[in-house]
Amino acid sequence: MTNPRFIRNFSIIAHIDHGKSTLADRFLELTGALQAREMEAQVLDSMDLERERGITIKAHPVRLHYTTPAGEAYVLNLIDTPGHVDFSYEVTRSMSACEGALLLVDASQGVEAQTLANAYLAVDHDLEVIPVINKIDLPGAQPEEARRQIEDIVGLDASGAVLTSAKMGTGVQEALEAVVARVPPPTGDPDAPLKALIFDSWYDAYRGVLIVMRVIDGCIRPGMKVRLMAGGRDYEVTEIGVFTPKPVLVDELGVGEVGFIAAGIKNVADAQIGDTITEAARPTAQPFPGFKELKPMVFAGLYPVEGHQYPELRDALEKLRLNDASFFFEPETSAALGFGFRCGFLGLLHMEIVQERLEREFNMDLVTTAPGVLYRVTTTDGETIEVDSPAKLPDTGRISSIEEPVITAMILTPTEHVGGILQLCQEKRGVQKTLEYVSTDRVLVTYELPFNEVVLDFYDRLKTLSRGYASLDYHVTGYWPSPLVKLDILVNGEPVDALSIIVHRDTAYERGRALASKMRELIPRQMFEVAIQAAIGGRIIARESVKALRKNVLAKCYGGDITRKRKLLEKQKEGKKRMKRVGRVEIPQEAFLAILKVGE
Amino acid sequence: MSSLGLYLHIPFCAAICNYCNFNRFLLDADLKRRYVDALALEIERAGAQDRAIHGRPAAADTIYFGGGTPSLLDPAEVQRLVGACRGAFDLSADTEVTLEANPETVTTERLAGFHAAGVNRLSFGVQSFRDEELQRLGRLHSAERAADALGQARSAGFDNVSLDLMLWLPGQTPAQWLASVARLIALEPDHASLYMLEVYPNAPLREEMARRQWTQAPDEDVEAMYLGALAALDAAGYAQYEISNVARPGRRSRHNLKYWTDREWLGFGCGAHSTRDGVRWKQVASAGDYVGRVMAGADLVVERRVLTPVERVEEALFTGLRLTDGLDLSAIDARYGVDVWGRYGHDLSPHLDAGLLVREPGRLRLTRHGMLLAHEVMTVFV
Repeated sequence: MTNPRFIRNFSIIAHIDHGKSTLADRFLELTGALQAREMEAQVLDSMDLERERGITIKAHPVRLHYTTPAGEAYVLNLIDTPGHVDFSYEVTRSMSACEGALLLVDASQGVEAQTLANAYLAVDHDLEVIPVINKIDLPGAQPEEARRQIEDIVGLDASGAVLTSAKMGTGVQEALEAVVARVPPPTGDPDAPLKALIFDSWYDAYRGVLIVMRVIDGCIRPGMKVRLMAGGRDYEVTEIGVFTPKPVLVDELGVGEVGFIAAGIKNVADAQIGDTITEAARPTAQPFPGFKELKPMVFAGLYPVEGHQYPELRDALEKLRLNDASFFFEPETSAALGFGFRCGFLGLLHMEIVQERLEREFNMDLVTTAPGVLYRVTTTDGETIEVDSPAKLPDTGRISSIEEPVITAMILTPTEHVGGILQLCQEKRGVQKTLEYVSTDRVLVTYELPFNEVVLDFYDRLKTLSRGYASLDYHVTGYWPSPLVKLDILVNGEPVDALSIIVHRDTAYERGRALASKMRELIPRQMFEVAIQAAIGGRIIARESVKALRKNVLAKCYGGDITRKRKLLEKQKEGKKRMKRVGRVEIPQEAFLAILKVGE
Repeated sequence: MSSLGLYLHIPFCAAICNYCNFNRFLLDADLKRRYVDALALEIERAGAQDRAIHGRPAAADTIYFGGGTPSLLDPAEVQRLVGACRGAFDLSADTEVTLEANPETVTTERLAGFHAAGVNRLSFGVQSFRDEELQRLGRLHSAERAADALGQARSAGFDNVSLDLMLWLPGQTPAQWLASVARLIALEPDHASLYMLEVYPNAPLREEMARRQWTQAPDEDVEAMYLGALAALDAAGYAQYEISNVARPGRRSRHNLKYWTDREWLGFGCGAHSTRDGVRWKQVASAGDYVGRVMAGADLVVERRVLTPVERVEEALFTGLRLTDGLDLSAIDARYGVDVWGRYGHDLSPHLDAGLLVREPGRLRLTRHGMLLAHEVMTVFV
């Protein structure tokens, strides 16, 4: 057990690509946690997907042994946090396990929306926030401008900011010195009943669920009977360890220490992030505050391209869920797509990650339907139901009112794009809350926006119209009533349930026309004319047609063409196989996401 | 066993057309000379090798000079190559000897020379009877020159001449296309081929079309062009026998028919393809490389596919379906032991219902409408 006086628990918070993982790698290297040559770049992001996308999904803590120039030995626990808004609850839990945070800002990019959102969270959690200005080696680096932005935009004193180039290795020790000097040591009562906060958990094939936690009071040992307070279930601790970053078993963890435990837990859902661990025989009187069950916010249908893959898809989803309690799924049947699943995600990135993992790790070939959000519908009987799919929306006559989730979005943008962004937010039915010039060339805009507009095509359009310079952070802040309607798409007269979306009444007409026209582009010519119609409540509002195929032939086929022709035929056949047949019409996979492609 | 076809690839052109992706090179007189030497040598060796495998000289009854521009050869060179074929294979007395020719390369005298060298069929790459279209394609001849070439061929003694035309040219309207077809009919060739222009992704023509904003007619027009041309040719006594080919009675291309009737052929020269004993192969593409390899006695093959029994059947089916006669089901059953309808009937019947395909006793064939959509049907076979 380490004397809490020599423990520092901290995290690094940053906007994506500002160099968080590189700095973390440098810390590991400097403290000898890993030799430079045995390190694969960015050790902490261990999932392939995380590394590829440069994002962190799972919060891994690493124990670093750091000796100051004065010869004092410290244990520094670096608690990596997810950087994306979809995982903001995990971020807050990770922060709860820390006393301090390094706020990393790219010297050439300056403060971005995630910097701001995460810095506010850190301040809310009473963390000691130490500004670090990174990438000072870049030709475009403007450390003084970054310092000014941290002071003016974030509102933190940046006079003591550490200047680093994680890439070149400069300023790394100074950053660790700042952690030792400025982050307060943990406080807690070693004699009080055990109280530990779960800030991550995942499933390990050999040991069951591994819980990552921080001890607040008391201590935890193997063999101890512990209780997970949210679920009220008791388990016996089988193993305790720390990540160095390799897992190493230890005998006990005391006040302020961070590590993992295994306790024969079968299901990640039983060890939820934010829950408190205590001793079963001597429970703490006060569980750690702020626990909430994670609720999926974004919903979409996932269907196998080939119907016989349904059982495989179910198995794959079950395996993913083992490790991801925030991911939800239930069987759903679509007249158009057959058997599949309604899946719930924390956000769009989470959805993309799940989709990609299903495709890559499980070799699934999927059709995804347009994402939607969770609506609250009050029926004429006075009953309130939650609707996660257009198919579940009651008939118009039975709806008394509908409420939709609302987000508060913070958008930080160079001034020249602000006009376009305001227009986009207005078009998306947003309500402006603030508009603030944070410097001569940057504006912070805060909007309340209906979440369903944002999941449809907001982010891509924001990026396009700001040429990638605007950054966005948001959280769901409530519900508001809204006149929403179901927009249906009919193909050759038949409504295709998987293409329906829920939209605002005032934009339904426009969206219906755009969607029908996009579908016309996406559906290839068939042997017959295909009619595409958009309808609201049975009333046709737009009509397009895909004319019948008139030719599909290679004019020349002589001796040398036969092999080429075989390849061509095979390719055409493969293409057809990947389409979904709705009635007689073959619809390509991407058409089910046509709504996201409108305007491209 | 039926007789082989012999294909001789002559890769040289006086200019490179902007749409062409064939294996061809700008004419280089010195290389052409060495190339003809190499070709004669390859034919001689191939004949000996085939003889060694099969125990006797293989019978052959067609020779086809394709290109490139084979009419850039001198009559003496053609004579030498035909002679090489005769020496290496057991050529039948009525062997069809075709030479592809570009109108601007011929004179009555040269044509008479080819005729004397043994060529008995000419195939002129006319492509269009509108000068504007010819210019767009970068062709070196005019419509008048093409018409004259046919007359010269007649004077030189040719009674079997084919003309190629292309439809779906940039900016071409159905009426303009049908005017070219009418001109062709008026000239009374013995055979004609109608090809839809394929603009390959890296063809210079694609870029030029974008720059000059030339577009190809919509699919609806192409359908009308194709059907209109065939109707006009029908009326003039030219019977369609393959998706892109029509002929007067007795004037079908015997060589090309081998490709669609599951026969065998040997290809000589750079980039040439062969099919023999269930194997398809392709030779090295570059003319210089080819000459070097032949002279060094090195292997010429760069791609080789040994067809599985299933692939043999599939390819016999999708090539055979190109013919107006369609597939002879009992012949296929006899050859491969495959009941075509039993194996593919379920997937074929929607095409039958849609009027693309006709099932007759012992036969399966595409309708004319079905020919435009042939790939829809043929994918059933792969």
